[in-house]
Amino acid sequence: MSDSTIQHHEESRDVTFRVHRFNPQVDSKPYFDDYTIKLEKGITVLRALNYIKEHVDPTLTFRAFCQAGICGSCAMRINNMSKLACTTQVWDELDKAREPGVIKIEPLRNLPHIKDLVVEMDPLVGKMKKYSNWVDSKMPESNWGKKEFLVSEEEFLTYDKATDCILCASCVSECTILRAHKEYVSPAVLLKSYRMNADSRDGIHDQRLAGLVQDHGVWDCTHCYRCQETCVKNIPIMDAIHGIREDAIERRGTKDTSGARHAEAFMDDIEKKGRLVEATLPIRTNGLAWTLKNLLPMAVKMIIKRRTPPPPPLVKASKGIQSLRKELKEMASHVAKDHEKKSGE
Amino acid sequence: MKPFDIVIVGGGGAGLYAAMEAMKTNPGLNIAVLSKIYPNRSHTSAAQGGANAALANKAKDDTVEMHIFDTIKGSDYLADQDAVEVLCSEAPKIIRELDNMGTPWSRMDDKTIAQRPFGGAGRPRCCYCADKTGHTILQTLYEQCLRKGVFFFNEYFALELSVDGSRSRGLIAMNIKTGKVEAFPAKTVVFATGGYAKMYWNRSSNAAGNTGDGQAIAYRAGIPLKDMEFVQFHPTGLRKSGLLVTEGARGEGGYLVNALGERFMSRYAPEKMELGPRDLVSRSLETEILEGRGFDSPAGKYLHLDLRHLGADIIKSRLPQIREMCMYFEGVDPIDDPVPVRPTAHYSMGGIDTDNYGRTIMEGVYAAGECGCVSVHGANRLGGNSLLDILVFGRITGRAAAEEASRFNPSPIPPSEVAEKEQELRSFMQPRGHYERYGTLREDLGHSLGANVGIFREASKIKQGIKDIESLKDRFQHVRVFDTGDVYNTNLIQVLELKNMLDLSETVAEGALAREESRGSHTRTDFPTRDDEKWHKHSIYTYEEGRPKLAYKPVTMGRYELQERTY
Repeated sequence: MSDSTIQHHEESRDVTFRVHRFNPQVDSKPYFDDYTIKLEKGITVLRALNYIKEHVDPTLTFRAFCQAGICGSCAMRINNMSKLACTTQVWDELDKAREPGVIKIEPLRNLPHIKDLVVEMDPLVGKMKKYSNWVDSKMPESNWGKKEFLVSEEEFLTYDKATDCILCASCVSECTILRAHKEYVSPAVLLKSYRMNADSRDGIHDQRLAGLVQDHGVWDCTHCYRCQETCVKNIPIMDAIHGIREDAIERRGTKDTSGARHAEAFMDDIEKKGRLVEATLPIRTNGLAWTLKNLLPMAVKMIIKRRTPPPPPLVKASKGIQSLRKELKEMASHVAKDHEKKSGE
Repeated sequence: MKPFDIVIVGGGGAGLYAAMEAMKTNPGLNIAVLSKIYPNRSHTSAAQGGANAALANKAKDDTVEMHIFDTIKGSDYLADQDAVEVLCSEAPKIIRELDNMGTPWSRMDDKTIAQRPFGGAGRPRCCYCADKTGHTILQTLYEQCLRKGVFFFNEYFALELSVDGSRSRGLIAMNIKTGKVEAFPAKTVVFATGGYAKMYWNRSSNAAGNTGDGQAIAYRAGIPLKDMEFVQFHPTGLRKSGLLVTEGARGEGGYLVNALGERFMSRYAPEKMELGPRDLVSRSLETEILEGRGFDSPAGKYLHLDLRHLGADIIKSRLPQIREMCMYFEGVDPIDDPVPVRPTAHYSMGGIDTDNYGRTIMEGVYAAGECGCVSVHGANRLGGNSLLDILVFGRITGRAAAEEASRFNPSPIPPSEVAEKEQELRSFMQPRGHYERYGTLREDLGHSLGANVGIFREASKIKQGIKDIESLKDRFQHVRVFDTGDVYNTNLIQVLELKNMLDLSETVAEGALAREESRGSHTRTDFPTRDDEKWHKHSIYTYEEGRPKLAYKPVTMGRYELQERTY
């Protein structure tokens, strides 16, 4: 074939795919298989995996469907980062490989493992349901279809990026909070919640928000930005999370959530001392009883290891605290003005 | 197991709309949606361009009547005119309904839903959300089904209809996660499994799973298929991958250019230029290539789709996904470089033969969307009418199935049927001396269909195609599943999908050989003109002893007489 003779001009080399394997029917624990194949430049990871499945090992198991970066099926960890295999170039990954010529392929994290590169997606769907990730229309169903809502391009733009989400779960996989708490709402579900809340056609904004400020909700996020860095569609997920938080403080104040109280105690300390009084943060956030029950054992361990923060009387105000207070006051008055403007509109 | 009222096979736009409408019709119903993937990943997500509806937001003088005429003319007069009337009259209602439930449409300055021009349409009536229309519609429908409590069986592979005389008793399917074969007794079954154009494997824009499972299951159960020879090639598939560059790119003003730098569409559709209907534009590209005015490359001959003159802003705001795909899969940024394209198999006009309510000849069995054939697209579908088809007929079918489900009680599915099916699946895993790999067979099928039953067809080539399919069916007897496990056996799934494609490809080729005329997407170089006297009729295929038996039935006419089709 003339095709193959021309293709010889393309750069080609041997590439090793170190693939996470596990079949619960026969394996007691996961292991890695190395597949070394000759590839040409310009090939995606998915095409390489398809080649391995068809020509080397038909038992290798992964998901793939549209192969065009829009369905989200082939999300997996490639060189320690969650990505879509179909939009990831092998040559780009070779540049990032820790061991020359070896690309490591693993399943997504933070979701139950099924086999090889396949993980269970049901927990994500369960959370979408729990947090009402749908528009609950202000229009009664019996009137649907009669006339369209009027929506400004401006409003559409506030959630346009969020509707790019393909639920591939890459952000879920890289989320550091989910690693500690499986119940955490998760970045994908926060993003969808934000999108629904920003939609003027939706009628359950307050109810959804009430759910999001509960335990394992929006306040558990620690701003590590891993979700946003991972997102295969470059969606600013952290902006959405910040958006929900601002919305929550504005609508619900700081009364009913540990996260909001935590943030308030934080601000209070900065204003008074210019630094945190860490030792009393848990008490101010969650109350004395909670702190004694949940944190005392850990505190004892920390004291033994000499890892405790200084006791409150020893936390002195920072140098330059006067000017810091002045700046804070100024900022606060700007914020208040902005709010006035907003409510006046 | 207590029977479900409705089992819907397929979780794309048609299946989800059917589920939602059935819940609305009767909230007491027990509805299951089976999908071989997760519904939010269905191929509906790949539809970029939009959905047509004569809302008259953009062109104030647009009417439903004009939409009807454009659709009938676009179909090369093979569409049933009563069905087209339903499609187009329901369109404005259904677009507004989607808006009311939260679909994020792009908007105009006056806050109404935006519309853009599309091929073969007399007015700009295509409603869209940037170039992710299908994706956002699919997400919205999935969200609404979750809201309504539809019962989802995700990652289940449908195997067979259980039939009792003239009635279906339900469905037999495999749980992909456990490998267990399970019976789904049901009063009604709705097939909404999408198209079959993936049989053109390497030259197809379709997702890997668009293997015509629903059509194949129905066909083998004795339900006739219709108009299978009409497979649409989309003019602008990416050269290397076959992935699609939406017609919206031409709608926004993109040009097609050959190697001589000519905007060659002036030769073929001087008035409509790049916005001619798909069959015509695809043939034009293929002709340019055949006559030596294409570019040459290791990945095959191609032409240019030039978007550069649109400017970075329009490309980034209205075609962001297209830009990403061009960069990922061709290594070109359409802001700076023209996009290498060639026609790619895209849409199946044919499918399970249904009436205007999605009913088939078998009691209790329905079909909707690309899986079915009502028929509203006839010999050639207009861009922007496929999303519309799945929405309108998904809804109508859901309602019809819900009404029937309240009236019938099927007999139970005998356990022996399930056991037999399990045995059959196991037999694929038996070691055999001489074996075949599914990957090779699949690729050979795609090559042969592309070469012999592709854009341009003639008797001797189609005969070669039929011979190839027969030999592939023989080779399939030796295909072996190497993964012998139960859990998530994708090796087995791919073999089962291949079997479906092989059975269906035979109907496509046989239908193409018999139809001695050129109409819509079906172009016979040995019969280059449309022959209304002999061939203004639908092809019907019934499964008999493992082969398709051909018959015909008349096209339902209405107020539009047969006319020559010019653009």
